Amino acid sequence: MHELDEQLRELIPRLRRFAVSLTRNPSSADDLVQSTLERAIIRWADKRVESDLRAWLFSILYRQFLDAHRRTRRYARMLEFFTGRDDAQPSVERTVIAQSTLQAFDQLNTEQRALLLWVSVEGLSYKEVAEILDVPLGTVMSRLSRARQALRQLSDGEIASPSLRILK
Amino acid sequence: MISLPPSERDLHAYVDHQLLESDRRVLETYLAAHPDVAAQVHAWQHDAQLLRAALGGALQQPANPDLDPALIRQRIKRQSRRHLAKAAVLLIAVSLGGIGGWHAREVSQPAQLPMADAMQAFRLFAQDGIMPADYKGQGGGTMQAWLDRYFNQAHRLPDLSASGFTPVSGRLLTTEQGAAAMVLYEDPQGRRISFYIRPPGPENGFLPRGSRSADGLQAQYWSGAGYNYAVVSPADQPTPAMLKF
Repeated sequence: MHELDEQLRELIPRLRRFAVSLTRNPSSADDLVQSTLERAIIRWADKRVESDLRAWLFSILYRQFLDAHRRTRRYARMLEFFTGRDDAQPSVERTVIAQSTLQAFDQLNTEQRALLLWVSVEGLSYKEVAEILDVPLGTVMSRLSRARQALRQLSDGEIASPSLRILK
Repeated sequence: MISLPPSERDLHAYVDHQLLESDRRVLETYLAAHPDVAAQVHAWQHDAQLLRAALGGALQQPANPDLDPALIRQRIKRQSRRHLAKAAVLLIAVSLGGIGGWHAREVSQPAQLPMADAMQAFRLFAQDGIMPADYKGQGGGTMQAWLDRYFNQAHRLPDLSASGFTPVSGRLLTTEQGAAAMVLYEDPQGRRISFYIRPPGPENGFLPRGSRSADGLQAQYWSGAGYNYAVVSPADQPTPAMLKF
């Protein structure tokens, strides 16, 4: 019925994949996708005509995730205490040897996972990524470079050196 | 145009197919002559490939009907209609303030139910939460000071702390006879009780101490020091033992 709905429908699998890679949990991922779609429908008029729909949706989803994450940050310590999971810190510093690329990927921090998914998997341009993150192009490239090094080291089973902690 | 030796950024741009065609060719020639750099680039390419393969499966999840855009659109419409309706009720109630206000409501109901406005205020503000507080306080002292700005020598805010309830927010309301206010108390379980104060209306007059319940709410009311008061809480909520004013 609505033209936008059809376009949204096609992108839902990609949004769900991105959401899972952020939340690492399928059901909260779907909640995230749902609120992203709501916001997209409400704010459709605000979208700049020339910007890519997929990049626009990714940016809404990413922001919603960060907001939710910020809100729950005060519970993070408690969560970490019970589960031993530490989402708030760049996880590269953990000395875990990854068995597969996916496991290595899961150990990266939030922004690194988003960056690699956008660039390596979805094939977004650096410029689109720069707009999503609202940072200069050069910053995207240096963060991407660090994300890639981190993934490389984790996949190789190298124990990450403390120097990798200087992640911005 | 890239310069040689290539920067690390150029190498990444190459991996991501974001170089100009001419630059890409220059870089490929360079890589052919520098196997160590080429090995690094291939490792990144390989990682990207593995990542695409690993995440490919995530595209094949069974559909979730809750995510259908048409459905979400309908839900948004319903919600905004509901909000509009609520806003309209509030607007009417507020804008009629000069002519009849809450009083108009009371007339349309079997009249003379004491402190119906207090119960209505509780419903709107404590249960539906549709308007932000005019005043948020820490502790009873500051809330009392806020209330004293509007009400002269009225009865003090009841101290419900023995039952775990403390004042959290205050709202000013209007009645035909002048300003009214509702102070909301909350206990650690999130249960709510309101204290309502208003000038006595011509209908309401001064009230004998009493209580009544309606639509799932209970109100205790009394008069004193020139005002009428009510304490309103949900009927299913055990009334704290304190209520001795």
